[in-house]
Amino acid sequence: MRGLLLKVIWETRLPTLLFGLALGIVMLLLTRIIPQMQREIEQLLSHLPLAKSMMAALMGIDVKEELNAQVLQAFVWVHPAVLSLIWGHEIVFCTRLPAAEIDSGTVDVLLGLPVSRRSLYLAESAGWLVSGLVILAMGAAGYSISARQIAPDMRPNRENVLMVLLNLYCVYVAVGGWAFFVSSCGSRRAPAIAVVFALLLASFLLTFLARFWWPASQLEFLSVLHYYQPAQVLRTGSLPPGDVAALLAAGAAGWIAGGEIFTRRDICTV
Amino acid sequence: MEPIIETHGLRKHYRGKGGVDSIDLSIPSGQIYGFVGPNGAGKTTTIRVLLGFLRAGSGCANIFGLDCWRDSHSIKRQVGYLPGDLRIYPWMTGERALRLVERIRGIDLKSAGNELAERFGLPMRQRVRTMSRGTRQKLGLVLALAHCPRLLILDEPTTGLDPPMRIELAGYLRERASAGDTVFFSSHTLAEVEQLCDRVGIVRNGCMVADESISDWRNRAPRIVTVRFPSREASATIDPPSCLVDLRRDGVTWTAQLFGPAAALMQWGATQPIDDIAIERPDLETLFRTFYRS
Repeated sequence: MRGLLLKVIWETRLPTLLFGLALGIVMLLLTRIIPQMQREIEQLLSHLPLAKSMMAALMGIDVKEELNAQVLQAFVWVHPAVLSLIWGHEIVFCTRLPAAEIDSGTVDVLLGLPVSRRSLYLAESAGWLVSGLVILAMGAAGYSISARQIAPDMRPNRENVLMVLLNLYCVYVAVGGWAFFVSSCGSRRAPAIAVVFALLLASFLLTFLARFWWPASQLEFLSVLHYYQPAQVLRTGSLPPGDVAALLAAGAAGWIAGGEIFTRRDICTV
Repeated sequence: MEPIIETHGLRKHYRGKGGVDSIDLSIPSGQIYGFVGPNGAGKTTTIRVLLGFLRAGSGCANIFGLDCWRDSHSIKRQVGYLPGDLRIYPWMTGERALRLVERIRGIDLKSAGNELAERFGLPMRQRVRTMSRGTRQKLGLVLALAHCPRLLILDEPTTGLDPPMRIELAGYLRERASAGDTVFFSSHTLAEVEQLCDRVGIVRNGCMVADESISDWRNRAPRIVTVRFPSREASATIDPPSCLVDLRRDGVTWTAQLFGPAAALMQWGATQPIDDIAIERPDLETLFRTFYRS
């Protein structure tokens, strides 16, 4: 297991650091810029109701709610650039095994060694969970640097920010669990990435449409973003346990199903 | 003694990519077993079942008496495997690849690996992405052999290797076999199989069509015989013995194929006015080819 973990670290340390660095910079800039642009953003959103709906859907607030500075703080945590970096990293990570290993043919060398498929899966999963922590920590560091310059009465307290981070990590677990499942079902990386990306896009669209289309609102519980509401968390300071449980359960279900498929399936590179 | 590799009625088909229908193997320790057959015959599928990459559809496959699917993890502690289409992580150097295998196997491979690398002329500090096909193959061999496994499963190991390296590898495999290790060797190069293996199995369309020791193959293989007579008249009038087939008369010389032992030809020759008889080595390649095609 140590050797496998070492391999995962060797292979993923650079992309993880790069994604983390990018996330840190994006968080730093967004945290600094958004409060300064509050008035401009409000004007823009009043002219573009669709954009306001989209923003409200991402942050988990009511469309009619006023976008004050504190609410806008939550926008940092749902900005498309932030979510794209986090999900981009984990889609790349979670499709490494087995899809990318089969695709590149290196699985033959790997499975020719005395390793069980279960230990391979566990090593890869450990790397995924740890790299998620690293990325979010780097993002949070970028946020913290800029947050010092926000007026104290406008700045969310540290505990509330930690709660949002925890909520975001649960989203990371849910998305990654299903990415592992998709990867375990296939033998090609590009289709696996495309499927996970399509699922995330569908999830976002569902949350967005649910704001003004009744049939979509009936299915909104299927969207991962339904369980991620940073504005609420920042305001109340408490993490809805139902949301956490749903995200962790969804992630665990995908991850376990992926593991079972991987340990039972035929592996063929030709 | 229990065979090292044993399969009975092994059958595996997957995703319409062919497979195997009936593979029976029983390979004892210390043997170099050549597994030959045309492309798509089922050689790699059999190897993949043996290594637990594929689950047998029916029949059984055992190595060291353990089930190849269920106990794959334990089996591979004592197996060295070289894939047919070898792909190693391009970012690795030979040294790093060896260190990774060392960590996974949990044994010190540094000295054994470096010795092998020196013997095969492998630069261990070169990155895989800059290696030629032959150098990558050498690295694959070092990684498969460094832990001195009891069983070597090599899928077309000489692909990309130059002739001196092929000779070196053959010598190394013979050393290992004489030390009691078993070599399961898949190849397209029939001459190589003939020179190296103790036993040869031929697979075609997913079925074993022959499985014999190399001495049995030699007894069955035709040998080219050249008989020289003192005169054209003798060459033209003498009746050939039944052991010679495909006879061609060219002046004072006969050229023919000899099947079976040479004793019958010698007895016949002793009673004839013959200047010379030359018998070439058994031509196993021709015999293998007949199994390939038929």
